[in-house]
Amino acid sequence: MVDAFAYVPAIVLLPFFSFVVALAAGRYLPKGGAFGGIAATAGSSLLSLWVLATVAGGEAYNETIYTWASAGGIGPTDIELTFGLLIDPLSALMLVIVTLVALLVHVFSLGYMNDEGETGLPRYYAGLGLFTASMLGFVVADNLLMAFMFFELVGLCSYLLIGFHFREEGPPSAAKKAFLVTRFGDYFFLVGVVAVLATFGTAQFAGDGSFPALADQALSGAGDVAWVPGGLELGTWFTIIGLLVLGGVVGKSAQFPLHTWLPDAMEGPTPVSALIHAATMVAAGVYLVARMFGFYALTPTTLAVIAFVGGFTALFAATMGVVKDELKQVLAYSTISQYGYMMLALGAGSYVAATFHLMTHAFFKALLFLGAGAVIIAMHHNENMWDMGGLKERMPVTYWTFLAGSLALAGIFPFAGFWSKDEILYEAFVHGLNDPLLLGGWVMGLLAVPVTAFYTFRMVFLTFHGEPRSELARDPEPVRWNVKGPLTVLGSLAVVAGLVNMVPVQKLLGIDGIDFLTQWLNNDFGGIDGVSYSAYNDLLATYGGYAPAELLGLSEELTLLVAAGLSLGLAVVGVLVAWRLYNVASPTEHTAKLGGIKDVLYNNYYLDELQVWTAYRTEDAAGGADTFDQGIIDGVVNGTSSVALAAGSRVRRIQTGLVTHYAAMLTLGLLALLVALGVSGGWFL
Amino acid sequence: MVPPEWYLLLAAGVFCIGLFGVLTRRDALYFLMSVELMMNAANINFVAFALYYGDLTGQVFALFVIALAAAEVAIGIGIILVLYRNFGDTDVTVPTEMRW
Repeated sequence: MVDAFAYVPAIVLLPFFSFVVALAAGRYLPKGGAFGGIAATAGSSLLSLWVLATVAGGEAYNETIYTWASAGGIGPTDIELTFGLLIDPLSALMLVIVTLVALLVHVFSLGYMNDEGETGLPRYYAGLGLFTASMLGFVVADNLLMAFMFFELVGLCSYLLIGFHFREEGPPSAAKKAFLVTRFGDYFFLVGVVAVLATFGTAQFAGDGSFPALADQALSGAGDVAWVPGGLELGTWFTIIGLLVLGGVVGKSAQFPLHTWLPDAMEGPTPVSALIHAATMVAAGVYLVARMFGFYALTPTTLAVIAFVGGFTALFAATMGVVKDELKQVLAYSTISQYGYMMLALGAGSYVAATFHLMTHAFFKALLFLGAGAVIIAMHHNENMWDMGGLKERMPVTYWTFLAGSLALAGIFPFAGFWSKDEILYEAFVHGLNDPLLLGGWVMGLLAVPVTAFYTFRMVFLTFHGEPRSELARDPEPVRWNVKGPLTVLGSLAVVAGLVNMVPVQKLLGIDGIDFLTQWLNNDFGGIDGVSYSAYNDLLATYGGYAPAELLGLSEELTLLVAAGLSLGLAVVGVLVAWRLYNVASPTEHTAKLGGIKDVLYNNYYLDELQVWTAYRTEDAAGGADTFDQGIIDGVVNGTSSVALAAGSRVRRIQTGLVTHYAAMLTLGLLALLVALGVSGGWFL
Repeated sequence: MVPPEWYLLLAAGVFCIGLFGVLTRRDALYFLMSVELMMNAANINFVAFALYYGDLTGQVFALFVIALAAAEVAIGIGIILVLYRNFGDTDVTVPTEMRW
């Protein structure tokens, strides 16, 4: 049998080739290079499925492919900077998700970009290709530095695609903001990468010599690390490293306080939003934490911070989603909120729940964005929900798939989102009873449930129900197969994806073997030692004291039922309130009754203003740094060269071109030599 | 036997005449002749020392220098010909293209 792992580089390179082709020859190709992108992502999808099947067959892959630099480290070991591949259950699953969503987004783009007569399509498809390739490279990365490089590439592509309509005013500024805000987080990430390399002499994710394994050995006294600054305790230093890397995660996964770029990123074309939110950019942050969870599991403080930030972001973003008028804005805040849930799950130590939600969210959020894209096509690019209404009858495919996605987002039984969100809240709860920060995260996560359900269904009702509130909504533009196809695929997934991990059902009814995802991530099918759910659980129990707490003496089944009932009940309450307020023929703006609170929410708690204000306050520091850079650093370099230049332009004048002068100089030189010899030889004494 | 100082003085004189020619003459042919004089000054020294020490190496070296001078003249004349062809003159102060 041919080895599937030999083709893993092709998964990354195929979209990259589509990028090159679209860039070089896109304008000569039909549809601006779209078919190249579709073929490439379809090929990547098939290869990913093959890899997934191979991993399911019990194989894993963790190899360095190329060492591009090596140097002596601080300790005895040499530091090697490498590119390599790590294929284990987690990355194989992620490969399938990313390639599938990328493929559907490419197909959808045919309807959203080509059929709408957009210009600059080769640039668009080139961007999509590079975006997909970077994310795939990030997913298969076997070390932190490689992951960082592709992380940055993902950021670059988001900049290029968000600013696709660069002739308008909004997109370039949104693109700049996305780039700068995520760069701010990545700065900490870079420092973290260097710290990891300096501390452990390696940045490998998995295997015996990997940095999580070394950290574990060092903490348990079985080994030592190469470098710890300033006599810090190991645990403290590892926490600092964890928090530094977390900086990049907070930026990319749009967690508070670096979430501000994401709503602005809605300026990009809608398929790009779907790609950013579901499978690529924003998912990268959460995936990174999951990837190096073996390290985070050693530092309970970092985990608690992750959980609290996640829970807070979930609630915080959900409240802002309630008052937004534009379809994509609501979805943007829901994305921030949902990634908050994933962070909460990771912080609660539930690696499986986070991956589960990452997967279900990828499907239903891609679905919702593509659905929103269909509505936007139909409404001739008017995104204001108050101009919509009554689209239910006019675009049934979009309506039903969008409804499936909304039910999943709101967490209604038995749609995908219910299973994953319920598992997150349950895990956060049972672990949170020991840890106040975690419990705080759980409370906020729970409070966000009804809010999520409310804004989701406010959006659905305003868009699809009631009477049409504008001419556009009365006569929407029809959409074609290339829009409906992806919607249908994702709609089905949003309904059934939750069935891959029915842990509550297994526990309640005692049916064994229906928690496929848990088994999958637990290396039951095969994987790499030390990178599995149970290995992480051991670490968590050892270092963090994470253990499911007994709740008031209730049995596990009852706790499960109560937790699931609570989150489902709250979600239903949210839906019902939205139903009551907005499912009428001509709804009114109920949020206006909130008065001042609405203004605060509508303006995103004035956080953008705060950031701008901070930027102005720190202008002097930035100016000082610039002066230092331009004056001192560059000054030294420029000074050296200008001294050499000036000296050269003086000295070159002795080259007169006259042969007699050269002869004279030779003679003078000979004389000087004679005199020098004479003086040192003592002739003239 | 003539003392070696005389030979050395003769050689120094011939060398200085050659050097003077190189520094003051503008015609390339005089240049070549002056260089020839400087070389022969060196030859005189070689032979003089060979005689003084009773060692034939210096004389052999002088023969080599004479052979080398023949080659040098061939190349030198060639250069002068090209100089004349390009500038219509054998004045070495005319071509100053190879300057800063």
